[in-house]
Amino acid sequence: MRIAALRPLAERHMDAVVDSFYELLLGHPDTRAFFPDEVTVGRVKRLQRSYFLGLFAGRCDLAYAQDRLRVGATHERIGMPPKWYIGAFRKYLSLLLERIVAEIPDRVEAMAAFDSLHKLVAFDTSLAIDAYIAANLDSLGRQQAAIRELSTPVIRVHDRVLLLPLVGAIDSHRAQQVMETVLVRVIEDKARALILDIAGVPVVDTRVADHLLKTTAAVRLVGADTILTGVSAQVARTIIQLGVDISSMVTRARLSEGIEHALKLIGREIRPIGDKP
Amino acid sequence: MTAIPILRLGNVLLAAVHVDLDDSVAERFQEDLLGRIEKTGAHGLLIDISGLDVVDTYVARVLADTGKMARLMGARTVLVGMRPEVAATLVRMGFGVEGIETALDADEGLAILTGASAR
Amino acid sequence: MTVAVVAREELPIRSEEDLVRVRRLARALAQRGGFDAFASAALMTAASEMARNTWQHGGGGLAAIEEVRDGRRAGVRMTFADRGPGIPDLERVLRGGYSTASSLGLGMSGTRRLVDEFAIDTRPGEGTTIVVTKWTRR
Repeated sequence: MRIAALRPLAERHMDAVVDSFYELLLGHPDTRAFFPDEVTVGRVKRLQRSYFLGLFAGRCDLAYAQDRLRVGATHERIGMPPKWYIGAFRKYLSLLLERIVAEIPDRVEAMAAFDSLHKLVAFDTSLAIDAYIAANLDSLGRQQAAIRELSTPVIRVHDRVLLLPLVGAIDSHRAQQVMETVLVRVIEDKARALILDIAGVPVVDTRVADHLLKTTAAVRLVGADTILTGVSAQVARTIIQLGVDISSMVTRARLSEGIEHALKLIGREIRPIGDKP
Repeated sequence: MTAIPILRLGNVLLAAVHVDLDDSVAERFQEDLLGRIEKTGAHGLLIDISGLDVVDTYVARVLADTGKMARLMGARTVLVGMRPEVAATLVRMGFGVEGIETALDADEGLAILTGASAR
Repeated sequence: MTVAVVAREELPIRSEEDLVRVRRLARALAQRGGFDAFASAALMTAASEMARNTWQHGGGGLAAIEEVRDGRRAGVRMTFADRGPGIPDLERVLRGGYSTASSLGLGMSGTRRLVDEFAIDTRPGEGTTIVVTKWTRR
């Protein structure tokens, strides 16, 4: 049965269906919260009517799909959970089923009509869920970007001396982020030296060591030097046992020594007050 | 074919690469630089690549080799102005940076070559 | 995930200047796809390395550069095809251990590290086709 053939039936019952649909939504405290006032209720009821009739347009093209995706994304944005969305569709179906059964006496015909409608509603639901998932991944991506930024806090210790205290595990994704952030900051600050403090990195395996070497090499290429500090005994042992060649790296045990070395590179030093130069 | 201009400042030769370097331009550039070192007896060579947004392994090798050749002829080479994205790309590809002297910009490179900055 | 091709351009690689053309096209597509400076440099360098391989090793060929989409991400897919001698010792080339004057050396293994997808089909005496794809970061 073509869905468009159901349109007259839909038009006749539109107001009643939409009204009982909102009775349900407004009757539940969880969903009631989404409709703060009468104006909002009036507006969404209008939208709902055109949405409802849209189901029976018998048109299922790209514009239709995009419209449904937009609807799903909107619900994700306002924080309406998918269970309510799915529940709403189910409510629609049961409201319509009552009317189809009442108006189409032939059981086979009524079944076919309901089946067409069910197919369309299922399609709508899947589009909406797709939109939910995509929107969710989007916010997840934004959060991850924010976390990445926080995890690469490049600090200006002195004119032309930068410090990056690395804390936590380093995977290759983060390592790349670290390299890029560091390179951009070195150029922006015209840095002469970068101190990379790895005291807060729990595990340094071959991969992490390789990332550190690569970052050092890249910093070299743009014209600055890297000083590695905070190498614990454990980490030193691992690096050597793994056979990683770190001879190209300048290392200092403590951060303070790293800073002293960096200052030397820019022709400065730390001296007790009162000392004659 | 586009040739890259080479300037002389005292004992130092300066060249800024701005054109999209294709292989033959890169090779010609190397030849020109070495020729100028031979003719002028320059002690320093400063190559500014801040105008390059791509340096593939071929061009990188030509630049690195030029530095080594210049050293054999008694000139010290400093490569300056490499962009962050170019540096990251070369390193990710596994390009070795041994034997290449670098500086942030032309000012600093010149300071190194003229002995104003001890490195 | 299905990949949709939004736009496609082909460039013959018949001379050294074509390498620069391939690079420029890659740059334009990277900009259109919203690549950041780092991803864009990686893409252009990969284009340059692969085009050089087609030119020097394959004796010339064809580059096809496409703007692609896989639903959420934008990307650039580049195909380089030649009818050259093929790459006899592919495994070693991909490891980056090759050091011939033709500079197959780091080009191939390095390119692989710059892109998200790398596929190669090479047959002795028949030629080589390399397909690389780089996506925008998410």
